[in-house]
Parts: sequence; C-alpha cells; structure tokens
Amino acid sequence: MFKAQQQSKFEPSRDNLAVQIQRLNYFFGAGDLSKQVLFDISLELPKGQIVILTGPSGSGKTTLLTLAGALRRLQEGSLRVLGQELVGLGDRALVNIRRNIGFIFQAHNLFESLTASQNVEMAVELTGDFASKRQQAVAMLSALGLDDRVDYKPQSLSGGQKQRVAIARALVNHPKLILADEPTAALDKKSGRDVVNYLHNLSREEGCTVLMVTHDNRILDVADRIINLVDGRLESDSSLNAFVQSKTKDSLTDISADMFIM
Amino acid sequence: MARISVAWANLMHERTRLMVAISGVAFAVILIFMNLGFMGALISTATNFYEQFNADLFLISPETLEISTSTAFPRERLYQIAGVDGVERTMPLYSEYLLWRNPETGVSRAIFAYGFNPNDPAFLMPELQEENARHILSRPDTVFMDRFSRPEFGPQDIGTTTEADRRRAIIGGTYFLGGGFAADGTLIMSDQNFVRYLAPRPLNLINVGLVKLNPGISPDKVAETMRSLLPADVDVYTKPGIIQHDSEYWLESTSIGFIFSMGVVVSFVVGAVIVYQILFTDIRDHLPEYATMKAMGYRSKYLFKIVLQEAILLAVLGYVPGLVAALGLYHLTTKATAGTLPVAMNGGRVIFVLSLTLLMCCLSGLISVRKAVTADPAEIF
Ligand SMILES: Nc1ncnc2c1ncn2[C@@H]1O[C@H](COP(=O)(O)OP(=O)(O)OP(=O)(O)O)[C@@H](O)[C@H]1O
Ligand SMILES: [Mg+2]
Repeated sequence: MFKAQQQSKFEPSRDNLAVQIQRLNYFFGAGDLSKQVLFDISLELPKGQIVILTGPSGSGKTTLLTLAGALRRLQEGSLRVLGQELVGLGDRALVNIRRNIGFIFQAHNLFESLTASQNVEMAVELTGDFASKRQQAVAMLSALGLDDRVDYKPQSLSGGQKQRVAIARALVNHPKLILADEPTAALDKKSGRDVVNYLHNLSREEGCTVLMVTHDNRILDVADRIINLVDGRLESDSSLNAFVQSKTKDSLTDISADMFIM
Repeated sequence: MARISVAWANLMHERTRLMVAISGVAFAVILIFMNLGFMGALISTATNFYEQFNADLFLISPETLEISTSTAFPRERLYQIAGVDGVERTMPLYSEYLLWRNPETGVSRAIFAYGFNPNDPAFLMPELQEENARHILSRPDTVFMDRFSRPEFGPQDIGTTTEADRRRAIIGGTYFLGGGFAADGTLIMSDQNFVRYLAPRPLNLINVGLVKLNPGISPDKVAETMRSLLPADVDVYTKPGIIQHDSEYWLESTSIGFIFSMGVVVSFVVGAVIVYQILFTDIRDHLPEYATMKAMGYRSKYLFKIVLQEAILLAVLGYVPGLVAALGLYHLTTKATAGTLPVAMNGGRVIFVLSLTLLMCCLSGLISVRKAVTADPAEIF
C-alpha cells in the first residue's frame, strides 16, 4: 500500500489531501559534511486522518515534521500543505502557511509570565480578532477541561494541564492541520492519556488532520494510520490493526493494555 | 481588548531581575546627572560673575578668549552704537592684572582689576549701589576688594593699606563677586585710578563694552542691529551669549570638559552593559517561547518589538528614580559646599539625560535582540 501511493493514477484528488509529499530528500550540513536524513519520501495524508509517525530515535521523524510545518526549507522533492506548494515560497509566505497549522511540542513552551488564557489569546491575536479573543481562549480551555484554570499561570498548573493549555493554544484558531512531536513524552501515563484523548476528540470534532510523532505505544490506538520511519525511509504504512498484528508477531512487549480498550 | 503586553508581563514576572535592572539604569542615570551637574557647576563658577554685570549686551574683541584674557578695542565702538533704538546706556569697562602685595607677608600676587566710571551703574553688587561708594571710589589710590579673593592676598578689611604695582593702595570697600577660573581675586576701582596703576594705559582702549537696554527690549534684536553697524574688530554678545562664549573656552582649554564627558561616557557604557545583561538573560530564558511564537506565525518584527519595549520600559522605570535621587544629591552637594559649587538641574539636562537613557537601553536592546530574532522554531521540536 506504500507502493500504491507513488502511482499517480491512483492518487486521490488533491483537494482531499492535507499533506502531499513527493520524492522528498533532506540533508543536514553542506559539502563533505552533508548527511542525508530523509530518503525519497512520498506520503499523502487525507483530510481528517489521524496519523502517528513512529520509528527509532534519529530516524528523521522530527525533521519530516518540521518540513511539513514550513519550519525548514525544502531541498529536494515537492511538499504541498493544505493545498499550497511549499517549494519556492519566501519567508513571508511560509509564515502565513504556519498560521494555518497547530503546533504541539514535547515541551509546553508557555510564557510563565502569562496566564493560561493569555497564552492562548496570543494565538488568537494573530488572527486580528481582539474583541472575542478572551471568549475564544476560555471556550477552548473549557473544551480541554480547564474551565477552572483559565486565569492560572503555568507555574500553578500540573504538567498535563500545561500541555493541555499548549494544545488549546494550537487548536484555538481551528487549524486544518496539527503537527505534534511527542506531546506526551514529558507526562506521566495518566495525564499523557488524558492529553491524547482530548487531542483525539477535538480534532475529530474539528475534522482536522493530525500528524503526531510518538514513541509511546500506549497511545497508538487513537491513530487511523501508523507510519514507521527507519533510517530516513518509510518502512511501513498501515492501519492500526495491521500495525499491531505485525508488531505482536515480533513479540512487542510494551504495548500497554489500555490501547485495546478504546 | 488590547494586545497582551508580553514585554510588560515578562518584566513584571521576574521581580528580582526587574529590581536589579531598574537599579542598574537608575545608577547609570545618577552617575550621568552627577557628572553633568559637576561640569555645569564648575563651568558656572567660571562665568557666574557675569550675573553681577548690569548689562544686557557685551562688546568684546574677537580675540578675547575669556574675560581675563582680553584684547582691548577702541572706545569709539561704544559711541557708534549708543544711538541704536532701545539702548539706554553704554559703559566702558577696563580690566587687567595687577600685582597685589599682601601687607602681612610682603608677598605679591596677581589680582584681576576692573576699572569703570564710578558714575556708571556697571555692577549689581549691593555694596556698590550705596551712595558713598561712588565718593570712596573717586578718591585717589582707593580700591574695592572682592571678599571672595583668596586669603593669600591678605587682610580684606576696609582701611588696609598696601601696594599694587609699586603704588600705594587703600581698601576703601568690599563686595562679593568671585574671579571665575582665571583670577584668584578681583579689585574694582575708578577708571582714573586704573590708568594710574596701569600707566601708560590710555582710556580710549576698552576691554569690555557694557550696554544697558531699555526695559522690554529684546537683546537679540538689538545685538543683530549692532552687528550690522560695527566693524569686524568687535563682537556683540547677549548675557547668555557671553557666558556661553567663556564657558566654551573653559571647556576646551581645561580638562573639565574631557573629564566629565568621560564620566558620562563611562556611566553610559556601564548602564548599557547592565541593561544588555538583563535583556540577554531574559531573552535566553524565553527562547523556546519566542521560537514557539515564530512557529505559530509571529514574525521577527514582533519579537523585535517585545525586546525594544522591554528596553524602553527599563529606561523609563530606571530614569525616574535616578532623576529623583540626582535632585537630592544636587541639593546635598550645594549644601555641603556652602553654595560654592552650585549644582543645579535645568530642563535641558532633564531631557538630555532622558534621551541618553533611552538611547542606552535601546542600544542594549538592539544588541541583545539578535538572539531572539534568530530563535529557530525548527530547533525546538
Ligand atoms: N540541526 C541538525 N543538524 C545536523 N543534523 C541534525 C540536525 N537535527 C537532526 N539532525 C540529525 O538528523 C537525523 C534525524 O534527526 P531527527 O531529530 O529528525 O530524528 P527523530 O526521528 O526525531 O529522533 P528522536 O526520536 O530521537 O526525536 C539524526 O541523525 C540527527 O542527528
Ligand atoms: Mg524527534
């Protein structure tokens, strides 16, 4: 099925794709020190799909995510995000692309000096909608179960709550694409699960596409699709069930029980 | 609803750091004010005797460096402008150094002597306004002695008799004037006595031409008219003008200007370094947040604005207590020196130091902001 995506005649209409990557190569460094980290990646993410990207450390997951997020410049290949080709875009245009993407990082990166609501409002201000920014921020925080923490500063929030504020900040402008890099890595099992559940439910409601990097096998169950990246190459691309079956054959031990419950 | 001020929130969040930054800026502001204050006070002691001259306009030779290093010019110049509209009176002033003998030690020392027509109201000192002062000055070999003269000149009591340039001299009265930087002491005498002491000095060559204007006449306008009437061997100054003329000479010819300007520069650099340290630490601590903002779609310009706002806030927050403290210190200095070092604030300096403080903080902001602007959102994933 990974092969099929490269055959252009089976390509779904471009309008249904949130992300379309074709023959992408990426190198770090220049000249003799140049080191290729992504090899001939072709990948399509239909709108509304929740995709988990896994793979060993150093396999290039973060690099792929930053490329899709218009945070890095493309070198070889083509990359369309939300209908826009990124190749050849200037800095200003790239910034405009980013405004339609929700970013969630491993660290929450909230301003300690601002309240939860203000941190979320910072994102709303980008849209120029000053009149209702507080309202929007509070609504989004409530949707993440933080209605009673709206005016708290990050230092008086738990790790999971802080990450939920960061998610509120990423979602408040209703982006069509969410890029998340190990959003649960810094959280304990329970709050990690909470955060992922919120992310899962909200993105389903909003109908947005999610590309999430994770090492955390306990949260694989929220995915429609799991992509495995090894040494910069797409190793497998499968539905959740197929992935689990292939992995259980390899006697994967650390898949926790609760992924089968959901 | 207003835009959230990240600059303000960041500064307020780290109270200790904010206090250090404010103290640093205030410290630099105080140092700058004190340097400028001392410089201004010293320079004003060099020229404040002009305040006691009863004139609105001053004629001097273009070769005159400051009052005690003057070149004489023809008295006719005064007659030429005596008829100009608004002129109430013109008064010649003679000046030269004399050797004054200390009657107790017998040591002679150069003293600066003014000669004038005792019928002219050339000076404003109250002692010279008294009716019999004119009579006393008209007596031969009689002089008035400056009470601000250095003690090395000997007793200043009325009736003291000694010698000046080998000629008998009697102190007939005293006044308070001061000799600025050049003179250790001053004398005032009638023009008749002046030519006697300094023979063969003719009375038709004068050192300063004093011009008194009718009340309500603008000195600047009359000065302009006079300049067009007079030849090039004489310059016309208003009172502030001649004070500035002499001040500039003293600033250039002495190290006062250099020393205190260095003081200002050093304070400026110290302040800039402190502000830079604070802003740099602040930016470093918030680098992931700034990078996140960039990932969200904020442009470098916005981060630039945050840092610059922080810099301006620090400038203002530090300037105000600095100004207040400087005013207190000015007062203390003036009191401690019993008025001999009149350190005083003026509006120009308030504005100048405020601009300097803003410049100092913005400069530090601009240097430290590069780090925030280069925050790479790709590096924080
Ligand atoms: N800025 C960089 N300069 C040079 N090499 C880099 C840079 N960032 C990453 N790399 C290299 O590129 C490769 C892919 O890195 P990347 O961060 O994408 O991996 P990853 O799959 O996200 O790993 P992890 O699971 O540990 O986060 C690694 O070999 C890494 O050493
Ligand atoms: Mg990574």
